[in-house]
Amino acid sequence: MIIHLEDINKTYHGAVPLHVLKGINLNIDRGELVSIMGASGSGKSTLLNIIGILDNYDSGEYILDGTLIRNLSENRAAELRNRMIGFVFQSFNLINYKNAVENVALPLFYQGVPRRKRNAMAMEQLERMGLADRAHHLPGEMSGGQKQRVAIARALITNPSLILADEPTGALDSKTSQEVMEVFRQLNSDGMTIVIVTHDPGVGQQTNRIIRISDGIILPDNV
Amino acid sequence: MFDLFREIAQTLRHNKLRTALTGFAVAWGIFMLIILLGMSRGVFNSFSSFASAEQSRTLSIWGGWTGKAHHGYKEGRRIILENDDKPRIRHDNPHYVENVFATKEIDSAQVSTNRDYISNPVYGHYPEEIKRAKLNMLYGRFLNQRDLDETRKVIVIQRQNAKTLFGDETKAVGSRVQALGLSWLVIGVYDHDWESGSYVPFTTAMMLSGNDGKVSQLMVSLKNVENMDDGTEAEAGVRKSLSASHDFASDDTGAVHIWNRFNSYLSNMTALNILDIAVWIIGIFTLLSGIVGISNIMFVSVRERTHEIGIRRAIGAKPRSILIQIVTESVAITTIFGYIGIVLGTMVTALIAKITADADFLKDPTVNISIAIKVTVVLIIAGALAGLFPALKATKVKPVEALRDE
Repeated sequence: MIIHLEDINKTYHGAVPLHVLKGINLNIDRGELVSIMGASGSGKSTLLNIIGILDNYDSGEYILDGTLIRNLSENRAAELRNRMIGFVFQSFNLINYKNAVENVALPLFYQGVPRRKRNAMAMEQLERMGLADRAHHLPGEMSGGQKQRVAIARALITNPSLILADEPTGALDSKTSQEVMEVFRQLNSDGMTIVIVTHDPGVGQQTNRIIRISDGIILPDNV
Repeated sequence: MFDLFREIAQTLRHNKLRTALTGFAVAWGIFMLIILLGMSRGVFNSFSSFASAEQSRTLSIWGGWTGKAHHGYKEGRRIILENDDKPRIRHDNPHYVENVFATKEIDSAQVSTNRDYISNPVYGHYPEEIKRAKLNMLYGRFLNQRDLDETRKVIVIQRQNAKTLFGDETKAVGSRVQALGLSWLVIGVYDHDWESGSYVPFTTAMMLSGNDGKVSQLMVSLKNVENMDDGTEAEAGVRKSLSASHDFASDDTGAVHIWNRFNSYLSNMTALNILDIAVWIIGIFTLLSGIVGISNIMFVSVRERTHEIGIRRAIGAKPRSILIQIVTESVAITTIFGYIGIVLGTMVTALIAKITADADFLKDPTVNISIAIKVTVVLIIAGALAGLFPALKATKVKPVEALRDE
């Protein structure tokens, strides 16, 4: 089991406290391709942020690949994110003044990998994504599908245990979405654990398991 | 580290206009600081060329008029200094007085050759005068003790006068001039910014005045004086000696005029030091305005890059990495553009030095290596401070919030 969530609660303390996750219990095994689906405001992105150690939870227990994730310092959280998790976002989140190779290689910069080596590794990932010819192009010079494949290459470069994708096809047309999902399925068939947050049933259907979340609660028949 | 600089260079290149504007503010601040420091140094050098601490350990004394009645004498009595005052002053003030010299001045004497003549003061002096007056000997020599002991009729004349009298200043030494009814052997030609009188041995000048014992001026060289209090005490001691020998009230400051060159020097040094500090303060504040500008721009930059910082944090950048990057970025901007300011400032001060080469009020208004090092240190500290606060702010933003920022 790579992800174990037990009775996870999360409340946003604004003017009116908002209890967004209400006792989430969830297990995801290594090698699964899982989608988390739910309406807007259901808490699916918050759940993904907690799984991705981008956000803290208030109570419960979260174990990621055998590591208890609780009250981590920012430095430790950054280290775990860097080594264990690859992120793919709806809006790609590429740095616009860095070309494809530099964007893909960036996580290795924070591991202290020398520039030549990390660029070579980045090139390998871009070739894997069929983007070798776009390696020295800036994000602004690429299509949405190409940008998302660059983002996937970046997510893969540190050889993480887990890929978390937040609406990865949300900004893409249906044909490109299909291409991106094909990439995820290929990665999953190679053994990569992938968790996709989506509201698109078409995307959900292409995963091995759909977890439905509503009003901060995982619907029982999907656990 | 090289990687970090490459990363910073890329960021700066991406924001050319912002970098250029920030850099201009820093370069201008440093440029002004260098100019101000150069000017201050020029004034300081100018003063130093006139007087050094060693050369200023002197009291120059002239006779005056009494301002108070004393021991039956009415006020308004003329006090004329005498050659015999020398041993008395030395005897009465052994702690502070190292030596006493006298001068005999003949206000306006005609000095002539077959070719031409000049009319200027003739001073009867001691050999030590060359150091005190900072005379620059061009040809021959200045007076020596033997000239005084043997009451020689030798004379040292100023360069321009030598030209007038002999047509060629190089021909003056070894030639003779007529002055005060006697023939004098020219033994030296000197140069000086403003002095143009002729120098003859003190003993010879005294002999010419009939050895009446009266002198024009006394010069007391001091020892064991380190501060204003010492200088004031030494002056009071000398005044007391003279008041006893010439019978005037010791608090009658008009009876003899004493120019305490040591205290004047210290006062001037204090004023120059205050000027130096003021220039640093003004310069630092000028620079500070540039630094505040950088800090502001770095804040804006951090704000603009919140999303980028979020991406970096999500993929593994530690808060410390973000902090180091932003602070280094700020230090890089201040250092690179600061050095442009230093180079431009140095060039301009060098130009000013060239233009004012002959001016007395400003001598060599350039900055030296120690100032350049100080300014560099100030730059690096300022750059780090300018970047630190925006960087701290950047590290406090949660990655998930930063990612939401578009």
